[in-house]
Amino acid sequence: MTNPPDTSQPIQSRRRTLLYALAALVSLIGLADAIYLTIEHLSGRSVRCTIVSGCSEVLSSEYATVRGIPLAMIGAAAYFAVFSLAVLAAYSYRWAAKSLTVIVGLMFITTLWLIYLQAFVIKHFCQFCLLSAFVTFILTVLIVISLRRN
Amino acid sequence: MKRALPFLIIGTVLVIAVVAALYLKRSASTAVAPPPASPASPAIPAAGNGANGPTTGNETAATAEVGATPPHTHGPADAPVTLEEFGDFECPPCGLLHPVLQTMEKEFSGRIRLIFREFPLVPTHVHALAAARSAEAAGLQGKFWEMHDLLYENQKTWHDAFDARPIFEEYATRIGLNIEKFRADSSGEIVAQRIFLDGKRGHAMGVSGTPTVFMNGREVPFESLAPDKLRALIQAQLNAK
Repeated sequence: MTNPPDTSQPIQSRRRTLLYALAALVSLIGLADAIYLTIEHLSGRSVRCTIVSGCSEVLSSEYATVRGIPLAMIGAAAYFAVFSLAVLAAYSYRWAAKSLTVIVGLMFITTLWLIYLQAFVIKHFCQFCLLSAFVTFILTVLIVISLRRN
Repeated sequence: MKRALPFLIIGTVLVIAVVAALYLKRSASTAVAPPPASPASPAIPAAGNGANGPTTGNETAATAEVGATPPHTHGPADAPVTLEEFGDFECPPCGLLHPVLQTMEKEFSGRIRLIFREFPLVPTHVHALAAARSAEAAGLQGKFWEMHDLLYENQKTWHDAFDARPIFEEYATRIGLNIEKFRADSSGEIVAQRIFLDGKRGHAMGVSGTPTVFMNGREVPFESLAPDKLRALIQAQLNAK
């Protein structure tokens, strides 16, 4: 009597690969958003008040920079890191998958803090920051699903 | 080759991201590139409403829209440099620009003239219109700049208030205005018309946000409103005269 061949492993592996590939694609949206926001911040266009945006209040606040570095620029670096790690994880680099979990976890916590600041301290929402938050939430969901499959 | 593929993908995205960032940066700066200061640049005429001065692409429209007359000005009428600000008292960057313009005024005393134009961003800023009305009402009693300064210097105080009008009335009392007249003027037609005319001029000149500053009729890029850059621009304009 022999055990039936375990066919679930390759399927699960393929699903994980798909999840990481999806995370890489989603992180590109965040990367594009963060690059745009960084340029807007550096050029001062979004820092100007306009009729449709709350970005001026957010980007001109003391929370928009960390030691002189625009937060959006740090966000762009984080999204690029997520993209790189997700691609490597999709190619079965285990250390990349672990690092991805850590970095997305940190981004999720940072995002919660930034939403709190916008809602209760600055009292204005910037649509580009909200898009970034949405992307981070999606990434978190994807990573949680991939962890469950592990 | 398969082992190198993920790194190839990452490298490609990095290159695309850097190129996109450079392209965006370039288009952001060329969109509002500062004009070279040249002796040929005509200045806003010293007196009056600045209607004949602007030399931007919106020259014709700006000439047609003179804004509120007379405008609120500070500095000599024949100053070689005129800075015309379209501002919103509730806009934080306008609040940050306020001390910068005050510093420039001190440093270039007698050679610079400021014009303030109302551009309240409604509904983004809930108290902006009331603040503009208060400043204009103070202007009808000859105290526009006193109210202008108080509004900017205490922006954070009234910005968070549920109803800012009592605070504005307290400012009016502080600068010695007739409070009954101030109240009546704040909701009056003259003040409303002045704000409307300034806004109309702003739109004609392509203003879409605040603060927007024109130096001798040419728009100063937002990033050049930092003290050092603005100082250099003013100096260049003075040297060109």
